[in-house]
Amino acid sequence: MCFKNLPIEFDAQGKPYLRAGVANPYAPTTTAPRGAPAQLTAENVEQLLRRNGYIKELDFDPVTRVAGALAFHTVADFNARKVIEARSMATLFRGYEVIMVGRDPRDAIYITSRACGVCGGVHSVTSAMAIEMAIGCVPPPLGILIRNIALALEFLYDHPLHLHLLAGPDYSAAMVGPTNPSLLARARSSEAQHAEIHGFRTIGELMDDLNPLSGKLYLEALHMTRVAREAYVLICGKYPHPQTIVPGGMSSTITLSVMNEMFVRVAQFFDYSKKLTAIWDDLTDFFYTANPAYKQVGARRAHMIDTGIFDHPEAYDATYANAAAWGDRRWATPGVIVDGELVTTDLHRLNIGVEEFVEHSYYEEWSGNGQRQRFPTDPAGHPLSPYHPWNKVTKPRPQGQNWKEKYTWDTAPRWDRQSMEAGAYARLWNSAVARKLPANPFIESTGTSLKLRLPKGALPEMEIEWKVPDVWNAFERNRGRAYCTAFTTLIALNNWMAAMDRLKLGDTRTSTPFEIPKRGEQLGVGFWGAGRGYLTHHLVLDRGAVANYQIVTPSTWNASPTDRWSQPGPYEEAVLNTPLLEETDDPKQFKGIDILRAIRSFDPCMPCTTHIHTDAGVITREVNTCACGVDDDGG
Amino acid sequence: MIVAGVGYRNLRDHSFGVEVTDRLESASWTDDVVVEDLSYNPIAVVQRLEDEPSEQRFQRAVVVAAVERDGRPPGTVAAYRWDGVLPADEEIQRAVTEAVTGVIALDNTLVVTRHFGALPEEVVVVEVEPAVHEFGDTFSEVVGRQLDGVCELVRVLATRADAVAQLPRAPLGGPSSAGVRAP
Repeated sequence: MCFKNLPIEFDAQGKPYLRAGVANPYAPTTTAPRGAPAQLTAENVEQLLRRNGYIKELDFDPVTRVAGALAFHTVADFNARKVIEARSMATLFRGYEVIMVGRDPRDAIYITSRACGVCGGVHSVTSAMAIEMAIGCVPPPLGILIRNIALALEFLYDHPLHLHLLAGPDYSAAMVGPTNPSLLARARSSEAQHAEIHGFRTIGELMDDLNPLSGKLYLEALHMTRVAREAYVLICGKYPHPQTIVPGGMSSTITLSVMNEMFVRVAQFFDYSKKLTAIWDDLTDFFYTANPAYKQVGARRAHMIDTGIFDHPEAYDATYANAAAWGDRRWATPGVIVDGELVTTDLHRLNIGVEEFVEHSYYEEWSGNGQRQRFPTDPAGHPLSPYHPWNKVTKPRPQGQNWKEKYTWDTAPRWDRQSMEAGAYARLWNSAVARKLPANPFIESTGTSLKLRLPKGALPEMEIEWKVPDVWNAFERNRGRAYCTAFTTLIALNNWMAAMDRLKLGDTRTSTPFEIPKRGEQLGVGFWGAGRGYLTHHLVLDRGAVANYQIVTPSTWNASPTDRWSQPGPYEEAVLNTPLLEETDDPKQFKGIDILRAIRSFDPCMPCTTHIHTDAGVITREVNTCACGVDDDGG
Repeated sequence: MIVAGVGYRNLRDHSFGVEVTDRLESASWTDDVVVEDLSYNPIAVVQRLEDEPSEQRFQRAVVVAAVERDGRPPGTVAAYRWDGVLPADEEIQRAVTEAVTGVIALDNTLVVTRHFGALPEEVVVVEVEPAVHEFGDTFSEVVGRQLDGVCELVRVLATRADAVAQLPRAPLGGPSSAGVRAP
């Protein structure tokens, strides 16, 4: 059964409809998520804090991809060594949805790119795809292939950056030594299983080179970001805000020379991928063996969502009607995973299950009070919630922070009313289980794993295998991201080879001319992805101008707050399940490393320079927002 | 030597450094002066500076930007020779992370490029205190008034070592009084 909470059923042809007899099918009281974890109420937490000296607030501010954009509030029980309350706060208003209204849709390609300083290009392409769908414009095959390569190159910038600049230092000697000295001592005498691949004899040596600023792995990651960036600018002009993305393809001129220059750079990721996967396999195995409690760090239900990415030029026609068909032929399969089970790969089902809620967000409700739901169905006639992005209206309402009411600029997206996470690993998981990948010599989907055959570089040709994990936690997220670097490299290689075939045929066309219709209303959606996963732009055009524009990013999902049913967002849930494994009993000495590992494993794109405040007042960075969580009314 | 602007386009006063380099690029310079917009990821700036052949590495940089500093009236111009002192490792690490995640700022650019050894030994900083921080392609009146004078100041600092020598040596943010022109 695809939906277990929303009252959506399917007819014999698989077309969804709302179950008969449900008076108000999308009312929050009608359909609450079943079996979801729940946060303690703010009142419960206050009582615990008042009664027990060993229960303390522990705040992190900022924790984010850009300074100040994410803060995290926790309440920890230092006797039980666990977190009892977790609140994720996006502290900046994004506002692109508001900026876009009334504009020419083509502006979205350049404006929404600025949503991110790491992966602006993914927003540009997602915008272009939403426009393509709205106006009926299909890119030529080479345009699709080059767009795929561009996306892969963005990931090859992002994944090393996250693994060895952002998350990596959490596992470095410089960090493990002060928090867990016995663990570092053990690492120094633990042989690394894959020394012949990555070159580190012991785990301790590996941890030394994860040290920030000076470690070889840190410096190598900086270099690899350059390699990917150089390849990207060959086809996109600039990084991270490309200049060649257009509705209907790319405006780049693709020549054999450009292709060769790209290949030289993509090929450098053959060996780098072997090394990354070996490193994260060894690190993960070491921590699990040293203390099995590490399997609980960042653990949560394996609930994931991903739109799939990398279109097949024979399948993609930019229509919503055929989205389920072209989605199934993507190089990374779309899908929704609930409790580790793939429940659908159908982009229509994925889309109609998405809702955004704002009970704990600094926005006003846009539904209810007799307001008309603008789109009761999607363009294919499938039912849509009033909380669906096509129906959503962004109504910012800044106000004070209050755990019982509003505390974040993020909304709470839910699929079938469940808290889902996005990430590189979601695309691995979907692709491994669904067995729908195009035939190719490098990647094999087995139903339980992905086999990745990396060509020879300085290291020999090698087959590596990512297996669907039996636990879902911070370590598996990082390991998955390392394997996703290999997966992405091979997708780039496959698309590079297909692009070369087009050039050999003399087919150099990369874009299709288009016009923006000046009459009527059109809907479009870009189903695409960032390095961190799921990305959609929902667009409504009215007489040639943007009437509504809604962006849901991976961090919208992952950093989402607790919802109206007390179900925590993914960061919050992962932190609530995280044991505090530091080797100190003194809360004043506590650094919160396991909590930070849990948060950073989602790739929130923020450094370890996170400010941490305990009751002892340890501050490592100037505070630019208040994450104290103290409500004005004491509530 | 390199004359560089750091900032954001279309961000009103924070576009000051970019505007200065845009104007100076079209001026005539001797062969040893390069004028360039370095308003991008400071790690990429490191890599760009390192790409210069070793015998042609820049000996001096004049870097122009709008920067908010405490206690300075908007429109204040500060010119100084940076003392090159780096902050603690934690701060450098933060700067690197902000660099690769898309933050463009004068302090970040200087700290990151100095840390990785890409910056010339002599660095002259010309800062203006912005009045507004919002989308737009016009300067506030108080900052716009400084544009011609700063372009001339930068031209002099780029071509006359004696003018540079007269500037105070100071940490990031500049000296409290010397070398500062009121708006």
